[in-house]
Amino acid sequence: MNSEKIVENARLLAGEDVNVSTNRIPPPEASFMKHPSKLKALQAVAHLTAAERDQNIKTPKNNAFWNQEMGKIQYFICKTLLVGMYLVFGLFRYLQYEYNRMKLRIWNVIYNPSNTPQLIRQDVTKLNKIPRRLAAILEMKSVGSVGGGVKGLMNDGSEVACWTVSAGIKHLILYDFDGILKKNVLEFKQEIKTKLSRYFGPSNVPKFALRIPHKNKVYFSNDDTHKISLEISLLSNRDGRQTIVDLTKTMAELTKSEELQLQDITMKLMDKELTQLVGPEPDLLLYFGPSLDLQGFPPWHLRLTEFHWEQDNDQVTYSIFIRGLHKYSSCKINVGK
Amino acid sequence: MEAETTLSGFSASEWIKNQFSNVIRVSNVAPKHVGFVMDGNRRYAKKMDIEVKEGHEAGYMSMSKVLELCYQAGVETATVFAFSIENFKRSSQEVDNLMQLARERIRQLADKGELAEKYGIRVKVIGDLTLLPKDIYKEVKRTIDQTKNNTRATLNICFPYTGREEMFHSVKELISADVPVDGINESSLEEHLYTGDSPPLDLLVRTSGVSRLSDFMLWQASNKGVVIELIDCLWPEFGPLSMAWILLKFAFRKSFFVKHELKDEVEDNDELMEALPEDKKHL
Repeated sequence: MNSEKIVENARLLAGEDVNVSTNRIPPPEASFMKHPSKLKALQAVAHLTAAERDQNIKTPKNNAFWNQEMGKIQYFICKTLLVGMYLVFGLFRYLQYEYNRMKLRIWNVIYNPSNTPQLIRQDVTKLNKIPRRLAAILEMKSVGSVGGGVKGLMNDGSEVACWTVSAGIKHLILYDFDGILKKNVLEFKQEIKTKLSRYFGPSNVPKFALRIPHKNKVYFSNDDTHKISLEISLLSNRDGRQTIVDLTKTMAELTKSEELQLQDITMKLMDKELTQLVGPEPDLLLYFGPSLDLQGFPPWHLRLTEFHWEQDNDQVTYSIFIRGLHKYSSCKINVGK
Repeated sequence: MEAETTLSGFSASEWIKNQFSNVIRVSNVAPKHVGFVMDGNRRYAKKMDIEVKEGHEAGYMSMSKVLELCYQAGVETATVFAFSIENFKRSSQEVDNLMQLARERIRQLADKGELAEKYGIRVKVIGDLTLLPKDIYKEVKRTIDQTKNNTRATLNICFPYTGREEMFHSVKELISADVPVDGINESSLEEHLYTGDSPPLDLLVRTSGVSRLSDFMLWQASNKGVVIELIDCLWPEFGPLSMAWILLKFAFRKSFFVKHELKDEVEDNDELMEALPEDKKHL
């Protein structure tokens, strides 16, 4: 830690007259900082410890935490303790990490779809409710690693799409921060087709549609637009806050030209507009990273969404998917009650 | 138990708490803004076979202890979800009870020698205050005025609040303020949120094992990099010890990530590579 910062903080603290306790002592360290000399430093530290003890006896009820300026020695002790705590915690985390990885490996053996929709169907029919809309946050791994790069991301996305079709869920939202799937939508469509034919056989590939709400475009898997078994919305960071900003701008313009009255702007209107611009709220959100990070997912659409992720996992695997569905089937949502 | 700690003044547990928060403070990576969803008071009451009101009381006790630790450890702003707009749907008896409790507690926060004075905390009540009954609104206003000169830390009490209403409020305020359209952007929207003058949210803690945001700080929590901790215990059971663990975890992670980024920078730097001794270049 840079000492300048401590000094600055100390000065700030010294300058403020916050009425924390009546018998406030001037911070001895401050005087030491102004005229640094070894003797004074010693005095300051000695004064500090003595004064502190003194004060605590006088006002046992007042713990006056903010009043204690941290002395050099105390600071050093704290740093040492911090390192010690980090070491212990690090060891614990290492064991926890190994344990979690082992758990994930076992799950991956237990839940293995092996490209057959019937197995997935069997897993899902046991559940008493399934989400109507499913969302998944995907991340692009670095190009060098296994399953990394754009190819890896598209592979993960199409994999999730296959599970979703097999589970009988009609709506899927795929979110990636940078919108890579959106940019490569045609390749992605092809990828999903290939994967689906591996699951369902080349003769009866389920029909699907890829939607990009931001551009208001829909890509159908076939020319036939009827009886679609899966609708996939591709979202990115752009559909989150920025869309709310855009909506605000539009509404501001409309009110300026008096096409929209201020009292007509209601929560209901905003909800309606955002549902149109982005889509409806998902019921379950799957995250395939090690610890939950919503990554700028559209905030308006997270109101009652259930999250599922597994600690220390970094792969898009079926076990996460099916365990998420299990969790959703047992959760109880009571708004406000 | 309460009486014991105040009597001895400098009990062992308090000493440990102070030392621990000092340690977190020197790590320099303590979260600046923490959000709490205090869920599970009613379930706790049911479990312990006590009245719902007492369950809420236990929740308040837990809150004040946890907040104390947070502020000592260097948290600047804490935001607690006390009452959702949706909670008005509960039975009128319970809504009344909750309102009375909140009123008492908010007043108590600003009393002499209590949390607000002890740590120099500015208490802010955020949310759609127009929904509050008049007498409670007055009480709340008084507390806010009483503590408005405190600058060390802030406590935002969400009462009655929902995350969507907050976003809507911000949007509407921007529009009615007649801001030029070019001036509307993410940061101006953010400034008009109820938490606009607080540092960005770093950590969100939710108890009772529910993995939803339930309409709390949607805008803030969806940001990239916000750590969300979902804990499987009821709020009155969530004590300073659990919070200490979360703070340590947070600090550990932040410290680790900083180092990680630095390492990447070094790798990209060719000059540094040249400065390295010959045998280390090919590692």
